[in-house]
Amino acid sequence: MKKTKITIDYKKCSFAGKVDPRECRKCLHVCDTAVFLMHPTLEEHPDPYNPEKWLITPVWPSMCTGCMKCANICPEKAITVVPGQSLHNLNHPYPKF
Amino acid sequence: MNAHLYTNELADEYNMQAYLEEQWKNMETLFIRKIMGFSSIGLGYKMKMPIIGRVLRAAAERQVHSESPKRVPKRADGHFGQVVPLEDAQHILGNLAAEPICKNYCVCRWMQRGVKDAVCINFGQLSGIIEKLHRYVPENTKFWIDREEAIAALEAQNKKGYVASVWFQPVPYINAVCSCESPECGGLRLRNDFGLMTVYKGEYVINVNQDNCQGCKSCVRMCQFNALRFLPSVNRVIVDLDKCFGCGVCRHACNHEALTLVPRDSVPGQAGKY
Repeated sequence: MKKTKITIDYKKCSFAGKVDPRECRKCLHVCDTAVFLMHPTLEEHPDPYNPEKWLITPVWPSMCTGCMKCANICPEKAITVVPGQSLHNLNHPYPKF
Repeated sequence: MNAHLYTNELADEYNMQAYLEEQWKNMETLFIRKIMGFSSIGLGYKMKMPIIGRVLRAAAERQVHSESPKRVPKRADGHFGQVVPLEDAQHILGNLAAEPICKNYCVCRWMQRGVKDAVCINFGQLSGIIEKLHRYVPENTKFWIDREEAIAALEAQNKKGYVASVWFQPVPYINAVCSCESPECGGLRLRNDFGLMTVYKGEYVINVNQDNCQGCKSCVRMCQFNALRFLPSVNRVIVDLDKCFGCGVCRHACNHEALTLVPRDSVPGQAGKY
Protein backbone atom coordinates (compact mmCIF):
# COMPACT_ATOMS: atom_id res chain seq x y z
CA MET A 1 0.00 0.00 0.00
CA LYS A 2 1.44 3.35 -1.01
CA LYS A 3 1.12 5.79 1.87
CA THR A 4 0.36 9.45 1.33
CA LYS A 5 3.39 11.55 2.23
CA ILE A 6 2.83 15.14 3.32
CA THR A 7 5.83 17.19 4.40
CA ILE A 8 6.07 20.72 5.73
CA ASP A 9 9.30 22.68 5.41
CA TYR A 10 9.76 24.04 8.93
CA LYS A 11 12.37 26.52 7.70
CA LYS A 12 9.48 28.33 6.07
CA CYS A 13 6.63 27.56 8.43
CA SER A 14 7.28 27.34 12.18
CA PHE A 15 7.87 29.46 15.28
CA ALA A 16 11.47 29.88 14.09
CA GLY A 17 10.70 30.07 10.36
CA LYS A 18 9.39 32.87 8.20
CA VAL A 19 5.74 32.48 9.16
CA ASP A 20 4.24 31.59 12.54
CA PRO A 21 1.60 28.90 11.88
CA ARG A 22 -0.76 30.55 14.38
CA GLU A 23 -0.85 33.67 12.23
CA CYS A 24 -1.30 31.94 8.87
CA ARG A 25 -3.02 28.52 9.37
CA LYS A 26 -4.48 28.65 5.85
CA CYS A 27 -3.80 24.94 5.26
CA LEU A 28 -5.94 23.94 8.24
CA HIS A 29 -8.76 26.09 7.00
CA VAL A 30 -8.67 24.78 3.45
CA CYS A 31 -8.30 21.04 4.15
CA ASP A 32 -11.65 19.32 3.71
CA THR A 33 -10.64 16.22 5.66
CA ALA A 34 -8.79 18.14 8.43
CA VAL A 35 -5.49 16.34 7.98
CA PHE A 36 -3.40 18.98 9.77
CA LEU A 37 -2.83 19.60 13.45
CA MET A 38 -1.52 22.85 14.94
CA HIS A 39 0.22 22.27 18.25
CA PRO A 40 2.86 23.59 20.63
CA THR A 41 6.23 21.82 20.50
CA LEU A 42 6.81 19.01 23.01
CA GLU A 43 9.58 20.85 24.87
CA GLU A 44 9.04 22.62 28.20
CA HIS A 45 7.62 26.07 27.61
CA PRO A 46 8.57 29.03 29.85
CA ASP A 47 4.87 29.67 30.42
CA PRO A 48 3.11 26.29 30.15
CA TYR A 49 -0.30 28.01 30.10
CA ASN A 50 0.71 30.08 27.11
CA PRO A 51 3.19 28.16 24.94
CA GLU A 52 4.86 30.31 22.29
CA LYS A 53 6.43 27.74 19.96
CA TRP A 54 3.90 26.25 17.56
CA LEU A 55 4.13 23.91 14.57
CA ILE A 56 1.76 22.35 12.08
CA THR A 57 1.98 18.57 11.62
CA PRO A 58 0.09 16.60 8.95
CA VAL A 59 -1.22 14.17 11.54
CA TRP A 60 -3.83 12.16 9.60
CA PRO A 61 -2.21 11.54 6.15
CA SER A 62 -4.36 8.43 5.63
CA MET A 63 -7.40 10.74 5.33
CA CYS A 64 -5.78 12.86 2.59
CA THR A 65 -7.60 12.71 -0.72
CA GLY A 66 -4.81 14.40 -2.68
CA CYS A 67 -6.74 17.52 -3.65
CA MET A 68 -3.57 19.68 -3.32
CA LYS A 69 -5.49 22.67 -1.95
CA CYS A 70 -3.02 22.96 0.95
CA ALA A 71 0.05 22.95 -1.32
CA ASN A 72 -1.53 25.59 -3.53
CA ILE A 73 -2.75 27.92 -0.80
CA CYS A 74 0.45 27.91 1.30
CA PRO A 75 1.95 31.41 0.87
CA GLU A 76 5.46 30.07 1.53
CA LYS A 77 5.03 26.96 -0.65
CA ALA A 78 6.16 24.96 2.36
CA ILE A 79 3.85 21.95 1.86
CA THR A 80 4.54 19.04 -0.47
CA VAL A 81 2.04 16.23 -0.94
CA VAL A 82 2.77 12.88 -2.60
CA PRO A 83 -0.65 11.21 -2.77
CA GLY A 84 -0.99 7.52 -2.00
CA GLN A 85 -3.79 5.25 -0.84
CA SER A 86 -6.39 7.08 1.24
CA LEU A 87 -8.16 5.06 3.92
CA HIS A 88 -11.73 5.52 5.00
CA ASN A 89 -13.58 3.44 7.51
CA LEU A 90 -16.39 3.06 5.01
CA ASN A 91 -14.63 1.09 2.29
CA HIS A 92 -11.66 -0.23 4.27
CA PRO A 93 -13.03 -1.27 7.64
CA TYR A 94 -10.40 -1.76 10.32
CA PRO A 95 -10.32 -5.15 11.97
CA LYS A 96 -12.15 -5.15 15.28
CA PHE A 97 -10.01 -6.23 18.16
CA MET B 1 -28.32 10.11 34.29
CA ASN B 2 -26.25 9.90 37.42
CA ALA B 3 -26.10 13.30 39.13
CA HIS B 4 -23.14 12.25 41.29
CA LEU B 5 -20.85 12.14 38.24
CA TYR B 6 -21.17 15.91 37.83
CA THR B 7 -20.30 16.96 41.36
CA ASN B 8 -17.23 18.78 42.61
CA GLU B 9 -17.07 16.32 45.51
CA LEU B 10 -16.37 13.51 43.04
CA ALA B 11 -13.65 15.62 41.43
CA ASP B 12 -12.03 16.21 44.82
CA GLU B 13 -12.22 12.54 45.71
CA TYR B 14 -10.07 11.67 42.68
CA ASN B 15 -7.91 14.84 42.88
CA MET B 16 -9.01 15.76 39.37
CA GLN B 17 -8.09 19.43 39.52
CA ALA B 18 -4.38 18.66 39.12
CA TYR B 19 -5.09 16.00 36.49
CA LEU B 20 -7.24 18.35 34.40
CA GLU B 21 -4.73 21.15 34.69
CA GLU B 22 -1.97 18.94 33.27
CA GLN B 23 -4.30 17.56 30.57
CA TRP B 24 -5.47 20.96 29.37
CA LYS B 25 -2.00 22.55 29.34
CA ASN B 26 -0.97 19.82 26.87
CA MET B 27 -4.23 19.18 25.03
CA GLU B 28 -3.03 20.12 21.53
CA THR B 29 0.02 17.86 21.74
CA LEU B 30 -2.12 14.79 22.40
CA PHE B 31 -1.83 13.32 18.91
CA ILE B 32 1.91 13.92 18.44
CA ARG B 33 2.96 12.42 21.79
CA LYS B 34 4.60 9.01 21.62
CA ILE B 35 2.83 6.23 23.47
CA MET B 36 4.78 2.97 23.62
CA GLY B 37 7.00 4.42 20.89
CA PHE B 38 4.07 5.30 18.61
CA SER B 39 2.46 8.68 18.11
CA SER B 40 -0.92 9.13 16.42
CA ILE B 41 0.74 10.60 13.32
CA GLY B 42 -0.39 8.43 10.42
CA LEU B 43 -2.52 6.35 12.80
CA GLY B 44 -4.67 5.14 9.91
CA TYR B 45 -1.69 3.47 8.23
CA LYS B 46 -0.22 2.23 11.50
CA MET B 47 -3.43 0.45 12.43
CA LYS B 48 -3.36 -1.33 9.07
CA MET B 49 -0.08 -3.06 9.95
CA PRO B 50 -0.66 -6.80 10.45
CA ILE B 51 -0.03 -7.45 14.17
CA ILE B 52 1.22 -4.11 15.48
CA GLY B 53 -1.99 -2.50 14.21
CA ARG B 54 -4.13 -4.68 16.46
CA VAL B 55 -1.91 -4.09 19.46
CA LEU B 56 -2.06 -0.34 18.84
CA ARG B 57 -5.83 -0.41 18.59
CA ALA B 58 -6.15 -2.32 21.86
CA ALA B 59 -3.70 0.03 23.59
CA ALA B 60 -5.60 3.09 22.34
CA GLU B 61 -8.95 1.69 23.52
CA ARG B 62 -7.47 0.89 26.93
CA GLN B 63 -6.08 4.39 27.20
CA VAL B 64 -9.32 6.12 26.19
CA HIS B 65 -11.29 4.19 28.83
CA SER B 66 -8.61 4.00 31.50
CA GLU B 67 -9.70 4.29 35.13
CA SER B 68 -6.31 3.19 36.42
CA PRO B 69 -4.62 5.34 39.08
CA LYS B 70 -1.56 5.35 36.81
CA ARG B 71 -3.31 7.06 33.93
CA VAL B 72 -1.44 9.94 32.32
CA PRO B 73 -3.08 13.38 32.00
CA LYS B 74 -0.85 14.47 29.09
CA ARG B 75 -2.32 11.67 26.99
CA ALA B 76 -5.86 12.58 28.10
CA ASP B 77 -6.43 9.05 29.41
CA GLY B 78 -10.02 8.32 30.37
CA HIS B 79 -11.41 11.08 28.13
CA PHE B 80 -14.40 9.94 26.11
CA GLY B 81 -17.91 11.16 25.46
CA GLN B 82 -21.39 10.45 24.23
CA VAL B 83 -23.68 12.21 21.82
CA VAL B 84 -26.83 13.58 23.45
CA PRO B 85 -29.89 15.25 21.94
CA LEU B 86 -30.50 18.92 22.72
CA GLU B 87 -33.18 18.26 25.36
CA ASP B 88 -30.94 15.97 27.42
CA ALA B 89 -27.96 18.30 27.12
CA GLN B 90 -30.11 21.20 28.32
CA HIS B 91 -31.30 19.11 31.25
CA ILE B 92 -27.65 18.49 32.15
CA LEU B 93 -26.79 22.19 31.98
CA GLY B 94 -29.94 23.25 33.82
CA ASN B 95 -29.83 20.75 36.67
CA LEU B 96 -26.73 18.59 36.93
CA ALA B 97 -23.73 20.70 35.85
CA ALA B 98 -21.63 21.99 38.74
CA GLU B 99 -21.05 25.75 38.92
CA PRO B 100 -19.27 27.77 37.63
CA ILE B 101 -20.12 27.38 33.94
CA CYS B 102 -18.00 28.87 31.17
CA LYS B 103 -18.16 29.03 27.38
CA ASN B 104 -14.82 28.87 25.58
CA TYR B 105 -13.23 28.36 22.18
CA CYS B 106 -13.37 24.75 20.98
CA VAL B 107 -9.90 23.17 21.27
CA CYS B 108 -10.43 20.71 18.42
CA ARG B 109 -11.59 23.36 16.00
CA TRP B 110 -8.61 25.56 16.87
CA MET B 111 -5.99 22.86 16.50
CA GLN B 112 -7.43 21.07 13.46
CA ARG B 113 -9.29 23.81 11.58
CA GLY B 114 -7.56 26.96 12.79
CA VAL B 115 -10.90 28.48 13.74
CA LYS B 116 -11.82 30.15 17.02
CA ASP B 117 -15.39 29.21 17.77
CA ALA B 118 -16.82 29.81 21.25
CA VAL B 119 -19.11 26.79 21.54
CA CYS B 120 -17.70 24.54 24.27
CA ILE B 121 -19.55 24.71 27.55
CA ASN B 122 -17.40 23.54 30.43
CA PHE B 123 -18.35 23.43 34.08
CA GLY B 124 -17.25 22.44 37.53
CA GLN B 125 -13.53 22.26 38.25
CA LEU B 126 -12.60 22.47 34.56
CA SER B 127 -13.87 26.02 34.01
CA GLY B 128 -11.32 27.52 36.44
CA ILE B 129 -8.51 25.86 34.51
CA ILE B 130 -9.65 27.07 31.11
CA GLU B 131 -9.72 30.61 32.50
CA LYS B 132 -5.91 30.39 32.79
CA LEU B 133 -5.49 29.26 29.16
CA HIS B 134 -5.86 32.60 27.46
CA ARG B 135 -6.03 31.21 23.94
CA TYR B 136 -9.37 29.59 24.76
CA VAL B 137 -11.02 32.52 26.51
CA PRO B 138 -13.30 34.16 23.94
CA GLU B 139 -12.62 37.78 23.08
CA ASN B 140 -16.01 39.10 22.07
CA THR B 141 -18.45 36.94 23.98
CA LYS B 142 -19.09 36.31 27.64
CA PHE B 143 -16.84 33.70 29.26
CA TRP B 144 -18.68 33.09 32.55
CA ILE B 145 -22.30 32.23 31.90
CA ASP B 146 -25.24 31.21 34.05
CA ARG B 147 -27.46 28.17 33.51
CA GLU B 148 -30.04 30.00 31.41
CA GLU B 149 -27.36 31.45 29.15
CA ALA B 150 -25.76 28.03 28.76
CA ILE B 151 -29.09 26.47 27.80
CA ALA B 152 -29.79 29.22 25.26
CA ALA B 153 -26.25 29.05 23.81
CA LEU B 154 -26.51 25.30 23.37
CA GLU B 155 -29.84 25.61 21.60
CA ALA B 156 -28.42 28.20 19.17
CA GLN B 157 -25.39 26.00 18.45
CA ASN B 158 -27.52 22.89 17.98
CA LYS B 159 -29.73 24.70 15.49
CA LYS B 160 -26.64 25.76 13.55
CA GLY B 161 -25.86 22.08 13.07
CA TYR B 162 -23.38 21.33 15.85
CA VAL B 163 -23.82 18.03 17.68
CA ALA B 164 -24.17 18.18 21.47
CA SER B 165 -22.02 15.72 23.41
CA VAL B 166 -21.12 15.15 27.06
CA TRP B 167 -17.58 14.27 28.07
CA PHE B 168 -15.83 12.40 30.82
CA GLN B 169 -12.46 13.88 31.61
CA PRO B 170 -11.31 11.78 33.22
CA VAL B 171 -13.91 9.05 33.71
CA PRO B 172 -16.04 9.06 35.89
CA TYR B 173 -16.12 12.89 36.24
CA ILE B 174 -18.28 14.75 33.69
CA ASN B 175 -17.46 18.41 33.08
CA ALA B 176 -18.13 19.40 29.48
CA VAL B 177 -20.97 19.73 27.00
CA CYS B 178 -19.39 20.20 23.57
CA SER B 179 -20.92 21.22 20.27
CA CYS B 180 -19.01 19.03 17.87
CA GLU B 181 -18.46 19.10 14.16
CA SER B 182 -17.03 16.31 12.04
CA PRO B 183 -14.22 15.83 10.96
CA GLU B 184 -12.38 18.37 13.17
CA CYS B 185 -13.59 16.95 16.47
CA GLY B 186 -10.77 14.80 17.83
CA GLY B 187 -13.24 12.32 19.27
CA LEU B 188 -15.41 12.00 16.18
CA ARG B 189 -12.32 11.65 14.00
CA LEU B 190 -11.10 8.67 15.99
CA ARG B 191 -14.57 7.12 16.13
CA ASN B 192 -15.75 7.66 12.57
CA ASP B 193 -12.49 7.35 10.69
CA PHE B 194 -10.52 4.92 12.84
CA GLY B 195 -13.26 3.00 14.63
CA LEU B 196 -12.02 3.81 18.16
CA MET B 197 -14.72 4.20 20.82
CA THR B 198 -13.93 7.78 21.81
CA VAL B 199 -17.49 8.99 21.24
CA TYR B 200 -20.47 6.76 21.91
CA LYS B 201 -23.69 7.03 19.97
CA GLY B 202 -26.66 8.57 21.75
CA GLU B 203 -29.53 6.81 23.47
CA TYR B 204 -31.79 7.49 20.48
CA VAL B 205 -31.96 7.07 16.72
CA ILE B 206 -33.85 9.18 14.23
CA ASN B 207 -37.09 7.97 12.67
CA VAL B 208 -38.19 9.38 9.31
CA ASN B 209 -41.96 9.42 8.92
CA GLN B 210 -42.38 8.50 5.27
CA ASP B 211 -45.85 10.03 5.01
CA ASN B 212 -44.78 13.40 6.39
CA CYS B 213 -41.51 13.72 4.47
CA GLN B 214 -41.98 16.11 1.57
CA GLY B 215 -38.54 15.52 0.09
CA CYS B 216 -37.27 19.06 0.73
CA LYS B 217 -33.78 17.65 1.62
CA SER B 218 -33.18 20.36 4.25
CA CYS B 219 -32.29 17.79 6.89
CA VAL B 220 -29.57 16.18 4.76
CA ARG B 221 -27.25 19.17 5.07
CA MET B 222 -27.58 19.14 8.87
CA CYS B 223 -26.23 15.63 9.41
CA GLN B 224 -22.59 15.50 10.58
CA PHE B 225 -22.49 11.74 10.13
CA ASN B 226 -23.73 11.26 6.54
CA ALA B 227 -26.62 9.20 7.88
CA LEU B 228 -29.29 10.97 5.80
CA ARG B 229 -29.62 10.80 2.03
CA PHE B 230 -32.23 11.95 -0.47
CA LEU B 231 -33.63 9.51 -3.03
CA PRO B 232 -35.05 11.24 -6.13
CA SER B 233 -36.97 8.14 -7.26
CA VAL B 234 -39.21 8.08 -4.20
CA ASN B 235 -38.82 11.80 -3.41
CA ARG B 236 -38.00 11.31 0.24
CA VAL B 237 -35.12 11.06 2.64
CA ILE B 238 -33.71 7.75 3.82
CA VAL B 239 -31.64 7.16 6.94
CA ASP B 240 -28.73 4.81 7.56
CA LEU B 241 -29.33 3.87 11.20
CA ASP B 242 -25.87 2.32 11.49
CA LYS B 243 -24.43 5.80 10.98
CA CYS B 244 -27.05 7.71 13.00
CA PHE B 245 -25.71 8.95 16.35
CA GLY B 246 -29.13 10.09 17.56
CA CYS B 247 -28.12 13.72 18.02
CA GLY B 248 -31.44 15.00 16.64
CA VAL B 249 -29.84 18.00 14.92
CA CYS B 250 -31.66 17.17 11.67
CA ARG B 251 -35.01 17.84 13.40
CA HIS B 252 -34.29 21.58 13.42
CA ALA B 253 -34.38 21.66 9.61
CA CYS B 254 -37.68 19.80 9.20
CA ASN B 255 -40.84 21.85 8.75
CA HIS B 256 -43.13 18.85 8.28
CA GLU B 257 -42.66 16.96 11.56
CA ALA B 258 -41.22 14.03 9.68
CA LEU B 259 -38.24 13.52 11.99
CA THR B 260 -38.54 12.25 15.55
CA LEU B 261 -36.08 10.64 17.93
CA VAL B 262 -36.98 7.18 19.13
CA PRO B 263 -35.13 5.27 21.87
CA ARG B 264 -32.27 3.23 20.43
CA ASP B 265 -33.45 0.18 22.35
CA SER B 266 -36.86 0.31 20.66
CA VAL B 267 -35.23 -0.45 17.30
CA PRO B 268 -34.23 -4.13 17.39
CA GLY B 269 -31.31 -3.77 14.99
CA GLN B 270 -29.83 -0.84 16.93
CA ALA B 271 -30.50 -1.88 20.52
CA GLY B 272 -27.32 -1.84 22.55
CA LYS B 273 -25.21 -0.65 19.62
CA TYR B 274 -23.42 2.43 20.83
